[in-house]
Amino acid sequence: MIFNMNFLLLDYAIRSLMRRFSKNFFIFLILSLLIFLLASVLMIADAIKLELNSTLKTLPQITLQRFIAGKQSDVPIARAEALLDIEGINAVTPRVWGYYYFKPAGVNFSVVGIDAYEEQYSPTLTLLTQHFDMKLLANKESMIVGEGVKKILAENYYSDFFNFITPKGEWKRVPIAGVFHSDLALESNDLIILPKKLAYAIFGMEESKATDIVVKVANVKEIATIVQKITARYPDMRAITQDDIRVSYQNIFDYKSGFFLSLFSVCAFAFFIIIYDKTSGLSSEEKREIGILKAIGWSSDDIVKEKFYESFILSLGAFLVGISSALFYVYALQAPLLRNLFMGYSELKPTFLLPFSFNLSMVILLFLLSVPIYIAATLIPSWRASSLDADEVMR
Amino acid sequence: MSLTPEIIALLTLDAIFCFLGLVAWVVAFRIAFHWNAKATTPLQYTLSKQSYLGAIIIKYIFMLKLPLFAFFIYTTDTLSSIIAGAMCAAGVVNSVDFGLYLTVFKLLNLYLFGFWLLLHYADVNDEKLPFTRLKFVLFLFFALPLFAEIALEVSFFSSLNISKIVSCCGTLFSAASDSYMSLLFVVDGYIWVGLFYGSFGITLLAYGLKNQLLLIASNALFLIVAIISLIIFFSTYVYELPTHRCPFCLLQKDYYYVGYALYTFLFAGTFFGMGGAVLSLFSKEKIRFSRLSLAFNTLYVLMISAYPMVYFLRNGVWL
Repeated sequence: MIFNMNFLLLDYAIRSLMRRFSKNFFIFLILSLLIFLLASVLMIADAIKLELNSTLKTLPQITLQRFIAGKQSDVPIARAEALLDIEGINAVTPRVWGYYYFKPAGVNFSVVGIDAYEEQYSPTLTLLTQHFDMKLLANKESMIVGEGVKKILAENYYSDFFNFITPKGEWKRVPIAGVFHSDLALESNDLIILPKKLAYAIFGMEESKATDIVVKVANVKEIATIVQKITARYPDMRAITQDDIRVSYQNIFDYKSGFFLSLFSVCAFAFFIIIYDKTSGLSSEEKREIGILKAIGWSSDDIVKEKFYESFILSLGAFLVGISSALFYVYALQAPLLRNLFMGYSELKPTFLLPFSFNLSMVILLFLLSVPIYIAATLIPSWRASSLDADEVMR
Repeated sequence: MSLTPEIIALLTLDAIFCFLGLVAWVVAFRIAFHWNAKATTPLQYTLSKQSYLGAIIIKYIFMLKLPLFAFFIYTTDTLSSIIAGAMCAAGVVNSVDFGLYLTVFKLLNLYLFGFWLLLHYADVNDEKLPFTRLKFVLFLFFALPLFAEIALEVSFFSSLNISKIVSCCGTLFSAASDSYMSLLFVVDGYIWVGLFYGSFGITLLAYGLKNQLLLIASNALFLIVAIISLIIFFSTYVYELPTHRCPFCLLQKDYYYVGYALYTFLFAGTFFGMGGAVLSLFSKEKIRFSRLSLAFNTLYVLMISAYPMVYFLRNGVWL
């Protein structure tokens, strides 16, 4: 049939590659490096997406923010109670939280105020409140901090307390009651949890207001309808659902890896030209070889086929090496340097493990981006080589 | 426009196809006008060399187009999780006006290039190269849908709008008057099923009679009727839902990606049926494509018939 394999030709192709080892090895190395880079970036993006999607499930179903003149502002707590008479809403929790900028280290802490008697809106917080005695925390006016926060504070000689500076310019001394560890490192590394009263004092907020409102809905399918009802009642409130966040995450990561890929395609194009140049510049020895092959009865088709085997073996080998070293780099070494591309550079960025995920579609994608492109670059040069005339090159 | 890695991969390969396709087109143009197998001029010598180049390029494009077609469908399927309203590839494909044409062009190109390669195969296996001129004249025309497909694909991905709400397959393939398929729903589903088995019967007859013209006609008919009956009748049994008719959801994980197997059987079967018959009209050489075709077509019929049968055996009623 049309595409049958010829093992003798394959054997010849491998030997031919080995005969020009140094020239081919250079191409092999560069190609593996390119594929390795590309594979690592896609794998990191995939792994982070997976980690985010798993934290996504713990996020509130609907978050309500109030916007005045396009800027987010505090929500009156009275609204939280008024929302309860919309059918289908299970629970409404006003949240008091924000960022506290700690100048000496140049980092932002996430400060969350919680109430001992309230139902917590996220499983992480529920877990935390079970571990620590919140009533005691409220009485003593102290806080619980994440591991990252603890480290930063210790570096600045705050070992058992911290002085918050309120908007009025007063110092608010808060002792550290404990440090928590969490499996979901992404969301708790930079976290400070303290009683609501203290949070109000630190942020200088009115106690009749909240930062935003979290709504829990009994039936997930009703979320869209409930959002409609809420925004009809309070036009200045913006509702963010879990699904909105999921879509925007996906867009961000597709954008980031797409952006990298566009840069990559410039690289690949340059490489394409190098390959084209290298394979079309035949040495006199190679020309002689083709001449001899033709003289002993090889057809142009055989030579093209042999060249195709050569480039296929080379690119497939580079593809396999690139992929496997990327797997090692991303999951065993946890992708030093490159992960910053996706994570940002903040001091307090959590140190978390990239969860292992290996999907076939990505391998196919990488294959399509490497092997066919390499073969395309060698297509015309190998035809040119095959159409040399035996008598001319052997003369 | 959103540049997901999959889209960039498709566009990059499109650029390569476009470039190589143009090269092959120029070659085809020269051969179509100047080819003369009896001449001993330098021009004829160059042309015979260049005909290799054309064939290599076309082989390359076809070999890649085959997996890329599946990859394209897969990409649109993954995009359906981003685009509001879309639940499978059908919604994404139809979110742009010409999406359906793009898919049809892709399929058409696969068939055309496949036929071209069969012709090429017959040509190079004959020492007189009797079809060289014909095949490059044909390529001059076959390249046009290829370029059209590339242009459509580029504009398809650049006009994809994430925030636009699209219809899902449930509305696109319903009996409602504004869907594409409304015309087909006028005819009762069982008539389509009858036509489906009828046309399969005609292909069997054609295999038996070894009548090449009948083989071509019956396989073409079988392809069209199979797709229509799949949408109208058989897909409801795959989904086990009387209102869900969609040729794309079959390709999803929920149905064990059965669509990839089904479509491969159907397309391979009808392609070999038609291609083998066309080829044997041209060349004297015996090529046993009809057996392959018979095997694939029968596999398709058995597989798609199993769904309603199993449903009936389990539940004791028809949908």
